[in-house]
Amino acid sequence: MSELKQTVLHDVHVELGAKMVDFGGWDMPIQYPCGIVEEHLATRQGCGIFDVSHMGRLVISGPQMVEFLQHVLSSNVEALELNQAQYCIIPNETGGAVDDAYLYRYEEGNYFLVINAANIDKDKAHLFSYAKDYDVTIEDVSDKTASISIQGPKSKEILISMLGGQQPTEDPSKNALATTEIDGIPVRIAKTGYTGEPLGYEIFVASEKAGYFWKKLMDMGAHPAALGARDTLRLEAALPLYGHEMGINKYGEDIPIFSVPLAKFAVSFAENKGDFVGRKPLQKQAAAFRRILNRDFAACVDLPYRIRPIALLEKGVLRAGFPVYRDGEEVGYVTSGTMVPYFNTEGEGMATEILDEMSRRSIGLAYLKSDLINDDHVQIDVRGKKLDAVVVPYHMRTDAPPFARPILWQPEEEEELHVSDDYAAKAAALLKKAAGNQVWRQSECVNLIPSEMTASPAVHALCASDPSNRYAEHKKVRAFYDSEVFYYQGTKFIEEVECLLVDEMRKYLGCTEVETRVTSGQMANTAVFSALMDFKNRVDRKVTPKRLGYIMNNHIIRGGHLSAQPMGALHDYIAVDPVTEKPALVNFPVCADNPYKIDVEAAKELLLRYRPELIIFGKSMVLHKEPVAEIRKFVDEQGIQTTIMYDMAHVLGLVGDHFQKPFEEGAEIVTGSTHKTFFGPQRGVIGTNWKKEDLKYGLWETIETRAFPGSVSNHHLGTQLGMLMAAYEMNAFRDAYQSAVVHNAKYFAKCLKEAGMDVAGDPAIDYTETHQVITSVGYGQGYEVAERLERNNIIVNYQATPDNEGFTASGALRMGVSEMTRFGFGEAEFKKLAELMADCVLNGAEVGEEIKKLRAGFTEPKYCFTDAQMEGALGALSEKLGF
Amino acid sequence: MNIPVELKYSKTHEWVKMLDETSALIGITDYAQDALGDVVFVDIPEVGDAVTVGESFTDVESVKAVSEVISPVSGEIAEVNDALDEAPELLNQDCYGNWIIKVSGITETEELLDAVAYEEYLKTCEEE
Repeated sequence: MSELKQTVLHDVHVELGAKMVDFGGWDMPIQYPCGIVEEHLATRQGCGIFDVSHMGRLVISGPQMVEFLQHVLSSNVEALELNQAQYCIIPNETGGAVDDAYLYRYEEGNYFLVINAANIDKDKAHLFSYAKDYDVTIEDVSDKTASISIQGPKSKEILISMLGGQQPTEDPSKNALATTEIDGIPVRIAKTGYTGEPLGYEIFVASEKAGYFWKKLMDMGAHPAALGARDTLRLEAALPLYGHEMGINKYGEDIPIFSVPLAKFAVSFAENKGDFVGRKPLQKQAAAFRRILNRDFAACVDLPYRIRPIALLEKGVLRAGFPVYRDGEEVGYVTSGTMVPYFNTEGEGMATEILDEMSRRSIGLAYLKSDLINDDHVQIDVRGKKLDAVVVPYHMRTDAPPFARPILWQPEEEEELHVSDDYAAKAAALLKKAAGNQVWRQSECVNLIPSEMTASPAVHALCASDPSNRYAEHKKVRAFYDSEVFYYQGTKFIEEVECLLVDEMRKYLGCTEVETRVTSGQMANTAVFSALMDFKNRVDRKVTPKRLGYIMNNHIIRGGHLSAQPMGALHDYIAVDPVTEKPALVNFPVCADNPYKIDVEAAKELLLRYRPELIIFGKSMVLHKEPVAEIRKFVDEQGIQTTIMYDMAHVLGLVGDHFQKPFEEGAEIVTGSTHKTFFGPQRGVIGTNWKKEDLKYGLWETIETRAFPGSVSNHHLGTQLGMLMAAYEMNAFRDAYQSAVVHNAKYFAKCLKEAGMDVAGDPAIDYTETHQVITSVGYGQGYEVAERLERNNIIVNYQATPDNEGFTASGALRMGVSEMTRFGFGEAEFKKLAELMADCVLNGAEVGEEIKKLRAGFTEPKYCFTDAQMEGALGALSEKLGF
Repeated sequence: MNIPVELKYSKTHEWVKMLDETSALIGITDYAQDALGDVVFVDIPEVGDAVTVGESFTDVESVKAVSEVISPVSGEIAEVNDALDEAPELLNQDCYGNWIIKVSGITETEELLDAVAYEEYLKTCEEE
């Protein structure tokens, strides 16, 4: 037997007292003296570091590198952007796996491929056998480089501190890459890993520097973890291991790649991949896989087994090789199994607390007949004893960063419905509770949710008045020269109201056409996207309509509206790019020194590259004006055929001299919700600025039909009536209100900063140009701080910043001054509020009573009509309403 | 390696503490727990079961492996250490303080090693 190979960190492991084993020809640590359980838990709770230098590292370059990789890898290499990585499988000609791998694109000129240690020679022979047909070079840099995997919730802060405060990767998403320096030493960082941790990185450094980084990481509190923990962590994350879940099965056959759930993401049949290795058998497997997901088990012929997570329900430990039975019939075997530790938790949802106390569970992965579904019970032959186990969808979830959350299987229990029959008592109790909530929210709390507003008494009264439960469907009829024809009787009043509202909103927005029937901002966007798609396809109705793409928008994590994302209102209207196989979306780039601001010059480059047919401005986390005029000028100069839309949901009430005039700047469509900075009840609005002779006037008419009958039948006539009063108020008080909001936001931001809070944004513009103020409160602390403020009568949003992985990792608060400005707060009040808030956030002070006192003098909405004539009319209406 | 002098040892790394002529406590040695690593499960046998010299009476499982525990005596299980059910890690923390079974009515005992002989024997194990 040849001598075992050693990584550059070998002696470090021995010095740490690691137990060393032969792992694929390498002398590697299986565990350090503290043991696998502690290493596993240290990674889940803090940060584990793993020497993964034994893995193979290849650099592929040359004029035909893309064609070659498209041919030998399962993934769509052309979809891989610069500074991104992708998981892939190296398929064989019959649809089995030679290995699985990770492909990294750190530079334009080459690709970096990481393969399993035990397969290096086999993989290289395989890749070289195909490489001879391509103009490519494959260089094995395994010896020159070392790699350390840094995994767990604390990994990010450790790296940030090593990087002198800089984020490890500009993009906080999985698979993001960065090339940087630490202490003057070049380092490549990847947000990847094999533990399932939502926060995890792998770094690549020159071999001789590995020891330096290992020590530095340990000094910063990272916990060495070895192959044993790496295995239990990946098993809990249900990640496949070559030789167990991939490769050759127990019966001596190739495991079809589509037996592995990750194949769904790792295998691409994009046209540009051509006739890649294994394409035909993989397509057959994929077809079977899709049918099996639809529970068409006749397809099992082409994909008889699938890898599924299983959980043992009795005492014992699952181990690789154990046969699995269903009602006495052998249906597969355990491919990986052990007992894994986890921390117990207390509480629910965002308030879930991870305790110090741990438990264990025996879980595994199994190669099971494809007709087994989730929750199916199976019996495992544990050395002669048959133990009950269950097929589960997953063992752990990573969708609530910064922690990976263990999921324990629980039998479905029939929920009993507890609804008492004492309706009179329940009705009275409901009113009492509502009254209590009214008092708290309207006279004791300071409301800083930027998307909220309190409507005036007149708006409230009108919303409750008679049209509120009526119908008034109407539609333009060409035969009557486009007059609006109403389908219901008794609607003359609301018809007049709607005409008046349209005129007031045209005046407010400064545009030619307005649609007011949509009842939310999200609905406004859906109607617009639907209309854009319909308009695009109007010239040929005999084929399936084409979706929209490319579309340029703000990334959700950088403040983009949910309703302008594929997961929101774009869902059914955005195309998939056949080359990248992803939604045909391109995000506005942001300034390197200010992630809240669009980088206009970089955006121009993307506009030329993608020539998007729709550009959507607007954000829900918004500190700056959007560069509408600059982008309009650029697309006109370049002749880019596009539509510019501005989703002004958050800033609808700021349209004007103190913020932006979207149509003057070149937007063609404005959508918005009427109840954030605007004074209205909760509705939506769409404005466009085309004239009858314009080609796109047809798009406006399509928007009207996508509002009705496309989106609403009943367009909520009560709030439409209230909206007219809100529009009167806004048009009457616009200048005073808007200047006060923007002034107060800047002043509040400055006061928070002076009080010691970490205010986001550019100090040169007093942090904000809108109603919003963002403050950082520490990574992952947003929810806890927001809860504390709520207990102290200050209502804010916890908010993920552009550096945060998602809302559960929120490290900021998002606040808006508009509602309190409407209640009359000025400099003195915002200064006091900033001081109390900072005291509560920074010192944990109880400020609830002082906040109540601060609010007590400001309970009547301003910027609305309060003259005698108005009071008389409102009194009369209220009396008719029975208030 | 901790090898208390008052105990006797088997070549399969169990320790025996004779309580009287016919009863004894049986556990696993420091060497055994160290070789296993983190013990995560002990398949506690039933009181009343017979044990036989040279035959397994339970499995001790670590994260990585399963190991049989071989009885150095023949007799009947009089008591089991239930604490190991909830806290198998006790075998790592204090392998001599935590016996696995108490056997009574011992009829046969294999030739056991004393502490000095067991320590010598361990040296040969490590050379292998």
